[in-house]
Amino acid sequence: MDDAASTTSPATTRPIWKRPVSRRSVLVTGAAGATATALAVLWKGDALSQILDHVRDLTHGYQGALGSERVRVAHLLRRAGFGATPGELDRYLAMGTAGATQALLDYRQTSNAQLEGALPAVDPNAGRGAATVGAIQGWWLQRMVQTARPLEEKMTLFWHGLLTSGLDKAGPAQMFVQNQLFRKIAMGNLDDLLKAVSKDPAMMIYLDTETNRKGKPNENYARELMELFTTGIGHYSEDDVRESARAFTGWTLQGAQQRRLTTDSVFVPRLHDDGPKTFMGKTGTFMGDDIVEMLVPLRATAERLSTRLFSFFAYPNPEPEVVHHLADTFQKNRYDIGAVVREIFAMDAFYSEKAYRALVKSPAELVAQTLKATGADANGYLAAAAAMAPMGQVLFYPPNVAGWPAGTSWINSSTLLTRINLVNGATQRMRAALPANSLDKLMSTLVDANLSPSTRDGLQAYAAAHAGDQAGLLFMVLATPEFQLN
Amino acid sequence: MFSRRDFITQGLLPVFAGSAVPAVFANGVAAAAADSPNATPSDRVLVLVQLAGGNDGLNTLIPFQDGAYHDARPTLRQDQGVLALNSQLGLHPNLKGLKARWDAGQLAIVQGVGYPNPNLSHFASMSVWETASVRGGIGDGWLGRYLNYLDRVGESPNHALEGVSAGSLVPPELRSRTPVTALQSLRTFRLQPVNEHGTQVDVENPLMKFYGAFKAAGPAPFGALLDTTLQEALQASHALQATDATYAAKGTYPSNSPIASSLKLVAETIVSGLGVRVAHVTLGGFDNHAREKPVHDKLLLDLDQALAAFMQDLEGHGLADKVLVMTWSEFGRRVKENGSAGTDHGTAAPMFLLGAPIKGGLYGQQPSLNDLDNGNLKFSTDFRSVYASVLQGYLNAPASDLLGGSFETLPLLKA
Repeated sequence: MDDAASTTSPATTRPIWKRPVSRRSVLVTGAAGATATALAVLWKGDALSQILDHVRDLTHGYQGALGSERVRVAHLLRRAGFGATPGELDRYLAMGTAGATQALLDYRQTSNAQLEGALPAVDPNAGRGAATVGAIQGWWLQRMVQTARPLEEKMTLFWHGLLTSGLDKAGPAQMFVQNQLFRKIAMGNLDDLLKAVSKDPAMMIYLDTETNRKGKPNENYARELMELFTTGIGHYSEDDVRESARAFTGWTLQGAQQRRLTTDSVFVPRLHDDGPKTFMGKTGTFMGDDIVEMLVPLRATAERLSTRLFSFFAYPNPEPEVVHHLADTFQKNRYDIGAVVREIFAMDAFYSEKAYRALVKSPAELVAQTLKATGADANGYLAAAAAMAPMGQVLFYPPNVAGWPAGTSWINSSTLLTRINLVNGATQRMRAALPANSLDKLMSTLVDANLSPSTRDGLQAYAAAHAGDQAGLLFMVLATPEFQLN
Repeated sequence: MFSRRDFITQGLLPVFAGSAVPAVFANGVAAAAADSPNATPSDRVLVLVQLAGGNDGLNTLIPFQDGAYHDARPTLRQDQGVLALNSQLGLHPNLKGLKARWDAGQLAIVQGVGYPNPNLSHFASMSVWETASVRGGIGDGWLGRYLNYLDRVGESPNHALEGVSAGSLVPPELRSRTPVTALQSLRTFRLQPVNEHGTQVDVENPLMKFYGAFKAAGPAPFGALLDTTLQEALQASHALQATDATYAAKGTYPSNSPIASSLKLVAETIVSGLGVRVAHVTLGGFDNHAREKPVHDKLLLDLDQALAAFMQDLEGHGLADKVLVMTWSEFGRRVKENGSAGTDHGTAAPMFLLGAPIKGGLYGQQPSLNDLDNGNLKFSTDFRSVYASVLQGYLNAPASDLLGGSFETLPLLKA
């Protein structure tokens, strides 16, 4: 049924699981040669507590919040997935933090047959109109809510926000194919992923590789491959952009006017510039794959990807020591993405007070967690996916090639009103019946029962004044400032 | 005496339950319009129009007599219907509204605008323009610094509508400690009540309690951000709802045009006298590496029609002399078109400044098409000179303080 871990690198022979508080095992497996000093700064007891002291300067109010296993597992499910229903939280909690982490990471061992059976039939080739777009958006949102493999969907969203393509240029059938590519290689090897993305029809249209021809190079993809997808700015020259654009010539889409419908790319030798190119100091008759192979091993690529992944899962602006450690992990594991994700969930930093509620829920996270609480039918997923635009996130349609800016930029006067109103609408349409007097259960599942005194008092007052209005009460819990954070 | 930030940080911001325009919004443009014929600096509104993705300056302000232009653009050149401004330069054929403003002396075009050592990354270059610093970065935006300045000197209107952005994001130009409002439509800019068995239950008061104390309990910086944002949003929402009923557009805005909808929203906040000082709208889609012509033609048509309606609307409400519109884009395009009938990232491009306060004409120098830097135009006017001219001459603000350096000003404004 499952294609097992066929794309993961062979270099995962060390223990795959370390307890969250595992400074020793990180030192044992991670520190070698010149990296030992830097790691020791981070991981040895005194220095670590110094970092956590520093963390306490940045955040406050949540000392000890992650001391409870229930909160740790809920935190993990918010980050590695899209939150949890009461049943899901209980089920993962029964595995313990370590078992839950392992189950989330090794998701290919979990059957997703129930989800696949529940999903509506989607025909991404049904045209390029709003109905097709809405159908694939609702389809993906339903996956986020109902999947048995939350991390698979979360990583797919991660790659969509980093290796961006969008419906402003590519067609829905192409975005659908790209989405499945991300899902397939989400935790695989970066080299495989970038080579596949370079030939992915949606990407080829979005960044113009499909028109990049011998003698008529188009720099768009070559530039963004370096600036956004691998090394970041400052690690390449304008000449490197021009030369690598030539290397990517030859791959194109066939079908003239139908090019926004085709989901197959093809290499046409006569369109490829097979002359010598000089890229980052090396000269050869490079092709696109050769450029990818030169970019992936660079330290800047490792550090940039590590920073992006850690900021996505734990907290923004990771300390240099954290980035250094994760970049080492990535390089030692032959550019295996899953190895970095696994390491992040094993780090003390992931369960530090600095990480708790340190991210703003993206609209996708807010909507998916809301629908987990309210339940939804097929129309509910379509409506909720369509309602994400005024919150600043449209699935398959990032604002530009840099993806969504995230963090505090999710919150402004307009988006915050929209977030609260969306939750209101979802609870009004609620299908799942809630038991009476359910405030404690709602607070425990949705906000770790960890609320400011003012919020807690307000919720209790609302419950007392509106006894029997369980939808209204659920709305009030989902409208708290605490729930806006992840 | 309390500043607005004291109100926010001390939780003193009033919540308006009624429908009347709160007094704090009453010192806006409309009030000034009734009282005095001459706008004072504090009544003036600056509207930024961002052309996102890198507008093709050479196909916007076109050197139609230059053989090098035709040679460089075998498929993209405009050789029909260019709207001549003089014997050498003309506007794109779709910029008919702007041409009419040119004829009326209300359009200034600054040629060859850029900055030293241009960055060809969209995001790095946007950041340069947004922060008015060639280092870029994530510091305050140049107009955020202007709003901070107003607060510092006691001229801030002290409400969340002094800075308005049409869209779902607050643009980096407006980023600072001064809150501004992102606005997508007036209809949705309100808190919906809960429907409890057919009865509408207002949730504003309980939510204001949640969002009044989270700053103390929640993690920095989100606690303060969430509290402040909801308080400011509700304040602005009440003001907007109160005036929505009274606004009637006096310009013909095209339908199905996002830039027209954005400018109409900005016009409504200005006309309603809500005290807007700076507004921002975005038109995206200019990054045309392939098959540029039909896309660029349509973008300029949408831009032109939206600006024409906006100006007409303001004139109809007697506010034309209080609003200045300025366009910008992170860079222009490569002089020579690429093999995909598109253009790659370039450097210098023209900026447009539009409005009754403007002294129309061409400013700066048109860059040579025969003296290029790696295929790109050499800039002749630093964009910070244009910013300085607007800050100093129009907004009466200390340009060199706000821009972190002295830049030559251009005489863009009527005396």
